Amino acid sequence: MTGQAKYRFTNIISTFIFDADFNLIDKGEDIKGKYKEAVKPEGRALYNILKYFNKPEYLKQFYKANIKITKRAIKESTGKDNLIIQAVNSVEDLKVIANKLAKRLREWYELYNPEFSRSIADHARFAELITLKSRIELLKKTGISESASMGADLEQKDIDVILLLAEEIKAIYKTKVNLEKYINTAMTESCPNITALAGSIIGAKLLEHAGSFKKLMLMPASTVQLLGAEKALFRHLKTGARCPKYGIILQHPLVAKAKDKAKAARMLADKISLAAKIDYFKGDFIGDKMRKELGAKIR
Amino acid sequence: MRNSRIFEVFEQRKGKRTSLYTQNLVPGKKVYGEDLVTMEGVEYREWNHNRSKLAAAILKGSPNIGMRKGDTVLYLGASSGTTPSHVSDIVGKKGFVFALDFAPRVVRQLVYLCEERENITPILGDANKPDTYADKVCLVDVVYMDIAQRNQEEIFLKNCKAFLKKEGYALLAVKARSIDVTKKPRQIFEKVRKVIEKELTIIDSRILDPFEKDHCMFICKKK
Repeated sequence: MTGQAKYRFTNIISTFIFDADFNLIDKGEDIKGKYKEAVKPEGRALYNILKYFNKPEYLKQFYKANIKITKRAIKESTGKDNLIIQAVNSVEDLKVIANKLAKRLREWYELYNPEFSRSIADHARFAELITLKSRIELLKKTGISESASMGADLEQKDIDVILLLAEEIKAIYKTKVNLEKYINTAMTESCPNITALAGSIIGAKLLEHAGSFKKLMLMPASTVQLLGAEKALFRHLKTGARCPKYGIILQHPLVAKAKDKAKAARMLADKISLAAKIDYFKGDFIGDKMRKELGAKIR
Repeated sequence: MRNSRIFEVFEQRKGKRTSLYTQNLVPGKKVYGEDLVTMEGVEYREWNHNRSKLAAAILKGSPNIGMRKGDTVLYLGASSGTTPSHVSDIVGKKGFVFALDFAPRVVRQLVYLCEERENITPILGDANKPDTYADKVCLVDVVYMDIAQRNQEEIFLKNCKAFLKKEGYALLAVKARSIDVTKKPRQIFEKVRKVIEKELTIIDSRILDPFEKDHCMFICKKK
């Protein structure tokens, strides 16, 4: 015995029509128009209807439908910000790896040609040169004759393995440059105002610390100012130590060169927070103007 | 291997400590690199109490975790599925687990787990907004929540109100550090207790030191 249709409830399985005693009357995808008098359940009614679905046959359907929906939701959840965050993380990782390998390369190469390694500080340039030129050519640059060098005379096969490592390091530096280019174009595309204001790398790092573009957009300026200084901030809150004044944005030239860094950091964070909101809602491009204003104010 | 105080949870001495085990629903499969032990033809999975707050609460002496064979569980803050896999073991083939998390990254991991086990399903959703996933779940016997949010007790009550059956159990793992880093954990636990006492009956609460620092497990029952 079922009464009149009273409640209409749609979930991921289907649309269901219940009567006042929560007996099922009808179900199906296309019955919405059929029961115009039925209302959406609320409060106690919703409780009873949810209770109705706690049955093995429905649980099986929930299982299948939820997996399908969740897979799709995960697929759709990837945005440009995820890509930028991964890229900026990769750049950081590459920096660490390149540094470590370059140190090893120098240690190794210095057995053969210590004077040249000493004369050049830049790792990327160093790896580049030793693969291109011979020891005699390189020594000429440093002004030391081959006979005065402390380097051992190695067989060609011993030198070749060193150069193999050098090639690898060269490739890492090249990848890093390419990734930075990618970050630059991606940032200019998806957040032009932030990029104009803070630069692509700092902007990307802010994104990374916030977690996502949406989260960064929702942050107040004071939080943006301290992104990257979480450790110091929590130390301040916990133990009463002095509070941090800036996080990542200290890397920004305007802040780094400013006399009153705290003030500069506050002003820049304020503008970045604004820019993030403009970018998120695809507003006008005023990053250049803001940057100019800041440049005039900060000294 | 012998039964522990808790239904469907087994224990065994391992060195100086007692280790907890659940019967593996999918024999031969590990979920997070835990040990598998076979005894008298039954395979058990070791339940790492350092990674699971529920296991820590049991070891700390909780008399009851409210989950039994055949229960339907709403698990909020499932993450990549370490604890949910054991909950899925406990409720068994006739039970069911709705595992919800907010971050796509960890839900991806969770989907793999769900495809292996037929009694657990993933939901990508925000526990703070029960309305957004009301069409993906049903009324449940147990709500378990372990999310590190500022207003976790509020979220907990919201979900219990919407999805927990009458006299159903509700478990809340409170992380004091994510509510307020400046206050002492015990003060925060007291505050949380007062808030949830208004709507639920608190059966038991366990501070999870030394397994989890500054955490507390509340085990409640809906009035």
